[in-house]
Amino acid sequence: MTRRAASWLLVMVVAVSALVVAAVDEGEPKTNADRAYSLAKDFACPVCQGQSIAESDVPIARTIRRNIRIWVDEGQSHAFIRDELVSIYGEDIDYSPSTEGISSLVWILPIVGFVAAAAGLTIVFRRWKAEAVSEATAADEAIVTAARRERHDD
Amino acid sequence: MIGEERQAVWIVLPVAVALGLLVLLLATGDPASERNNTFQLQGEVAPLIEGPTIDGGWFDIDDQRGRWVIVNFFSTTCVPCIVEHPELVAFSDAHDVLGDATVVSVAFDDRAENVVEFFQDNGGSWPVLTENTGEIAVQYGVTGVPESYIVAPSGVIAGRFIGGLTAVALDDAIATLTGVDA
Amino acid sequence: MSNATFGAGAVAFGMACAVVGAIIVVLGLAGRRPRWFAEATTLVFGMLAASLAAFVVMERALITRDFTVAFVAEHGSSRTPALFNFATLWSALEGSILLWTLILCGYVVAVVVKFRRQGDDPMVGWAVLTLFIVSGFFFLLMLSVAAPFNTFDPQPLADGTPFDGPGPNPLLQNHILMAFHPPVLYLGYVGFTVPFAFAISALVTGRVGEGWLLATRRWTVMAWGLLSLGIVLGAWWSYETLGWGGYWAWDPVENASFLPWLTGTAFLHSVMVQERRGMLRVWNLSLVIATFSLTILGTFITRSGVLQSVHAFVESGIGPAILIFFGLIVVVSLGLIAWRGDELRSPGRIDSPISREGAFLANNVLFAAFAFVVLLGTVFPLIVEVVDGRTISVGNPYFDQMTMPIGFALLFLMAVAPVLPWRKASGTLLSERLIWPAWLGAAAMVVSLLIGARGWAPTLAFGLGGFAGGAALRQVVLATRRQGWRGLVGRTNGGMIVHVGVVLIAVAFAASNAYVRQGEFTLLPGETAEIAGHTLTYEGSTFREYSNRTEWRAAVSVDGGQAYEPGIAVYPFASQTIGIPSVRSTLFDDVALSVLSFPETEEDDVILRATIQPLVMWLWIGGLVMAFGTLLAVVPGKRRQPTAPTSARLPEPEYDPEPVGVDG
Repeated sequence: MTRRAASWLLVMVVAVSALVVAAVDEGEPKTNADRAYSLAKDFACPVCQGQSIAESDVPIARTIRRNIRIWVDEGQSHAFIRDELVSIYGEDIDYSPSTEGISSLVWILPIVGFVAAAAGLTIVFRRWKAEAVSEATAADEAIVTAARRERHDD
Repeated sequence: MIGEERQAVWIVLPVAVALGLLVLLLATGDPASERNNTFQLQGEVAPLIEGPTIDGGWFDIDDQRGRWVIVNFFSTTCVPCIVEHPELVAFSDAHDVLGDATVVSVAFDDRAENVVEFFQDNGGSWPVLTENTGEIAVQYGVTGVPESYIVAPSGVIAGRFIGGLTAVALDDAIATLTGVDA
Repeated sequence: MSNATFGAGAVAFGMACAVVGAIIVVLGLAGRRPRWFAEATTLVFGMLAASLAAFVVMERALITRDFTVAFVAEHGSSRTPALFNFATLWSALEGSILLWTLILCGYVVAVVVKFRRQGDDPMVGWAVLTLFIVSGFFFLLMLSVAAPFNTFDPQPLADGTPFDGPGPNPLLQNHILMAFHPPVLYLGYVGFTVPFAFAISALVTGRVGEGWLLATRRWTVMAWGLLSLGIVLGAWWSYETLGWGGYWAWDPVENASFLPWLTGTAFLHSVMVQERRGMLRVWNLSLVIATFSLTILGTFITRSGVLQSVHAFVESGIGPAILIFFGLIVVVSLGLIAWRGDELRSPGRIDSPISREGAFLANNVLFAAFAFVVLLGTVFPLIVEVVDGRTISVGNPYFDQMTMPIGFALLFLMAVAPVLPWRKASGTLLSERLIWPAWLGAAAMVVSLLIGARGWAPTLAFGLGGFAGGAALRQVVLATRRQGWRGLVGRTNGGMIVHVGVVLIAVAFAASNAYVRQGEFTLLPGETAEIAGHTLTYEGSTFREYSNRTEWRAAVSVDGGQAYEPGIAVYPFASQTIGIPSVRSTLFDDVALSVLSFPETEEDDVILRATIQPLVMWLWIGGLVMAFGTLLAVVPGKRRQPTAPTSARLPEPEYDPEPVGVDG
């Protein structure tokens, strides 16, 4: 194996191991406060314009933050908390559109679009490869020679 | 491929349709500020309210079955709450005599001492809760103060008032709802 | 003559210049007016004079608090500090349109001056015509729905004190960046009008070869650089003003500024393929037209009130006008592309996907996908409301999840594309050029693990960031070795520095999002709280009165050091109470403090919120690096004139005589 190939192998091993360690190792366990905060970021403040419950300063946002913390302390799941908040405040409190019904389009359309784009690119590249001209004709060579002569004249 | 010479048109057409739909969509959208908060809890069983009151008693909303209950969320620092307080006093006095409706106040984001002082200074003899009020507020979907919820004698939420209310408005609401809800 | 009359007159004059100018150019292009270019130039200067006069008059009215002008009566105030009175111009709708128009007229003047020698070329003619039409639209806005010079009769108040305006929104008068973000952003937005005009011109004249691209290349790069800087300044301002450590919320107005940036970036890269190999012409025309259209669409979103946002202007009647203009641009552009489209297709072919051209094509697709996702997420609530009647929200979780894979793919391309040769690459070539960047990426991942960071997504971001940054630095190092200081300037090298800036931003974005911590604490004076390795001590509060507000501030010392003073400000005349955050920034992390409740007495407790985010400073540093790299990129290269063909000879080295008096 050449030195370069060995170097590449080593760097890939290091990178992949680092990634695996980062993915698997919990590090500092997430506290309930952190979990509540990250949940709160996913929901919209019911009265403010465009702020999440985690960000907003208004009293109702702080109250809901405290409630989320209580639910997290009780061990409730993300789904439970979401359902509670949606049933009280309506669907628009959830920043993550639901995957049922027409809302699912917002998730599906980009994926469909991307698959279509990738497919399109593949087809186009295949077609270009098939059409590739490999030899220059005599006429082409004549044009090139004339052009080079012309260029070097000035 | 289909008509290589006119391929541009075939690509442009769907793009034009999509953009046309976008323009139509943006033209017909209502301004965001006109959207109301969704009131989800109409007709639902009123979420539980129970806890100690400021005068040392215990309040449980289930005990109030058979009577109209006005659940009033307020704060002593909110000006419209202060303004509507005499209206609540008037309403409460009138219906205490009849025994058919009562008020319960839930303090929101406020200190207990301030609430006690407020009621001492301004009157009002109905149950007032100051403990764990945050959870109660969220259960009712409160978005700010003052907000009041009308709970029917059957125990379901029949209506919501956002902003200050008057005794007359409350009476009118109950009268309308009595025709609807048995 | 009063300010209002003079200003209104100036606007009307500008409109007249635009209309007459358009007519003259049309006549000139039809061959009926031999001196059309000179006359059009005069009218362009007339437009600039008009918009400049209107601007100066409005600023004068604001600074002298002339309340007979309705705009000043609605947004100015005697209590607003002087600097913010100047910036009040762009704090509200009419003034912002005035600023836009002024910048646009400035650009149009620059175009006619720069291209004065090609004045008889129809290419320039059609471009100038397009510019007249766009300018005319904005002057028309100022004559109808967004009139800045309506008059007002300032009556004294009930108690006899003279009339005083409410001042701008308090959130717009508490930070210096208010004076910079909108002008810089507009310089970017409006700058894209010029390449757009030339693209339309190219389509109309059928001359869709490289000419128009080369002629406007530097304009596009400058506009892009200014737009990037404008967006970063906006994020910085949000961060400093809004108090919860947020700098980007995928808010509709933020997305509106980001969309043209995405297509603009794709365009900047894709034109290189057109220059070198004459390919991707349809892509390039579409991208530049899309970029300009998206700036107009963005203006609509920001001002029409259709989408809810904390950054939006107050709703007004301007929406329909802008939407109609957007529709017009779309119809005209698509029509032209449909008409000329098939002549556009280049004879060349991309031979191999693993080549510079292939990478740029993939780049175009990725940026287009990115823009599609952002646009879809932004308007989706409207779609659901119209179709289903329900109100839903689309926010952070959606955008983060959808754009993360695209972001990773773009970082990877940033690493690989600069080392890819044109036409075809071999594995050996790539492995030789990319090994050091790969090691840098792996090292970044290991370092992040060692300092305790976890989570596969940020770690992958660090790795790819190191990879991309390494590729960029490698290019710059090689170039400086070969050419000395000239290895830092020019399109490629400047571009690599911009890439370094982007990598800094990407890494900072990943880290600050993944590792943010927040806590709320109720503290009595003297008490301490701990969060994320920092200690916060509440030391006491102060109360201050200013001309336009009263402020209450809590002194909080962070880690036993200097005291920071978050607080609350009450603006009685705007009836608004806003929070004043205070941020301690270091290169390693930021501690953002804000106060959630007003203590009633000196001894009362305060509710303090602290948000700790790592690496936030690197976002701003990365933005400045991007701006700096853009400047480096527009320094002219030694190689050749931009309009000379790629194969032209390099200029002869300058004759360098021996210095007089040297021995030996």
